[in-house]
Amino acid sequence: MTVTTDATPVPPMSLARVIGAYLSDAKFESLRLLRTPAFSVPILAMPILFYTFFGVILNGGGHRPPGFADQMFVGWTVYGVMGPGLFGFGILVAVERNMGLFTFKRALPMPTGAYLAAKLLMAYAFAIVVMAMLVTAGLTLGHVTLDPVKLLTVASVMSLGVIPACAIGLAIGAYAPASSAGAFANIIYLGMAFLSGLFFPLSGFLHDIRAVWPTYHLAQLARAAGGMNHEGAIGQHLAILAAMSAALIFAAARRLSKRG
Amino acid sequence: MADGGQVEVQGALARLNGVRKRFGETVALDGLDLEVRPGELLAVLGPNGAGKSTAIGIMLGLQEPDAGEARLFGRSPHDLAARRGVGVMMQEVALPDALKVRELIAMTSAYYPDPRPIAETIALAGVEKIAERPYIKLSGGQKRQAQFALAICGRPRLLFLDEPTTGLDINARETMWATLRKVVATGTSIVLTTHYIEEAQALASRVVVMAKGRQVAAGTVSEMRALVSRKRIECVTSIALAEIQAWPEVSAATLEGETTAITTAEAEAVTRRLLAADPTLSELEVRRAGLSEAFAELTAENAEEPAR
Repeated sequence: MTVTTDATPVPPMSLARVIGAYLSDAKFESLRLLRTPAFSVPILAMPILFYTFFGVILNGGGHRPPGFADQMFVGWTVYGVMGPGLFGFGILVAVERNMGLFTFKRALPMPTGAYLAAKLLMAYAFAIVVMAMLVTAGLTLGHVTLDPVKLLTVASVMSLGVIPACAIGLAIGAYAPASSAGAFANIIYLGMAFLSGLFFPLSGFLHDIRAVWPTYHLAQLARAAGGMNHEGAIGQHLAILAAMSAALIFAAARRLSKRG
Repeated sequence: MADGGQVEVQGALARLNGVRKRFGETVALDGLDLEVRPGELLAVLGPNGAGKSTAIGIMLGLQEPDAGEARLFGRSPHDLAARRGVGVMMQEVALPDALKVRELIAMTSAYYPDPRPIAETIALAGVEKIAERPYIKLSGGQKRQAQFALAICGRPRLLFLDEPTTGLDINARETMWATLRKVVATGTSIVLTTHYIEEAQALASRVVVMAKGRQVAAGTVSEMRALVSRKRIECVTSIALAEIQAWPEVSAATLEGETTAITTAEAEAVTRRLLAADPTLSELEVRRAGLSEAFAELTAENAEEPAR
């Protein structure tokens, strides 16, 4: 970039202040979402409610076949970890684009990176809370056969899922109109959860295309981390998730920086 | 209106060079040249749809010009380093409304290299009473005040204010004007769009009048005041239009049906002359030419030649 110098210089920004700007954005992003129950309640409460219902109550006190409890636990952690990213980016980016917040922030000296990083950190913070609830429920009520160390390993590996979730959400937010972004996010969220075989086995065509869904790869990684049987190589799942995320983020960032 | 008396200042803080911008069929900017000089408060006046907000949007890099270029501190407006010197108050902006005003100021201050202390921003913008209230609970005028606090919190060298006092009551407007004078005194330049001539008169060191995407006049406040102090005379008279147009006091005269409409800076002299020349003259009406008439007239006068 060529920089002409026909005007007074602007004071430089120290690295400490740049990092501070990122952290401050993440803090205020989390704070405002905690204060927005329409967002925070479903994201934080739905995974634990679903898990309690399907994984604990319907399990009927551990009488289901061996492995059912573990499969439920892995399935709902995948579900739980995707929510904050999908909705935090999907709905909020679309709404903020629509209402002019994004335009305002683009006029300020805030790099696109800080806007996205704030939402990513927020999604991580929410996902950690969701995961803590699921691990606690799994250990106390869920008849999960994984030992606590394995449970925590599964939960930590799952936190990787925040990134593809954010990438999908960002793409929804960048392209969908504010009025329908929520619907898109929900359809994709639930669709991915069921079509990737998180909760019940797939057959036929749905089974053949299961690798299309990031949730499938995430679930295989979780099963591998928990020492359960899984399909495919770990490196392959990681590479596919990384490639999917990068492609979606690239497409969304291009659109956002051009059109806002 | 010539700006021949102005000294050409090198090193404009921001400038638009020959910027054109269309939105579909609508021409928003039609070859606009505009520069913001150090230490000035530049008022950009014009009726709705004149292209004021588009001009600011392009200076800030929010919109891309179809032709021409925008520079901010000699750099591209997309350059983060350039935007670190800028504070902004836009129209129709929404903010994270679950946050309190103090939190919004803290969040925005964090983007700048050397912001004011938060308490200082709150005092300077006069938002002490609403600092602890969530943005969503504020009235329209209070939201404007909060947005103003965000615009000045980063100690910007250049402040863009798009219709800042729209929706404010008289007290809040006076407070904001007083603050703007203080901010200019600290060496900050301000670009202010408005359609209130009084606002420009109260604050501006230089005024640019825009209409239909062009600069149609530029000059000092007193030059602009003369421009809009013109009166409009309407009457039904048998005097030939061409004769009236030839009178030196008359700046423009048109025939609208039976009514002759005259624009002049010297209403008394023209009225006396009209009555003397036509004893049968009727339906006489004299009123101050509104801003929109002044702008419309300027636009018509400048339609044949490129804006200067």
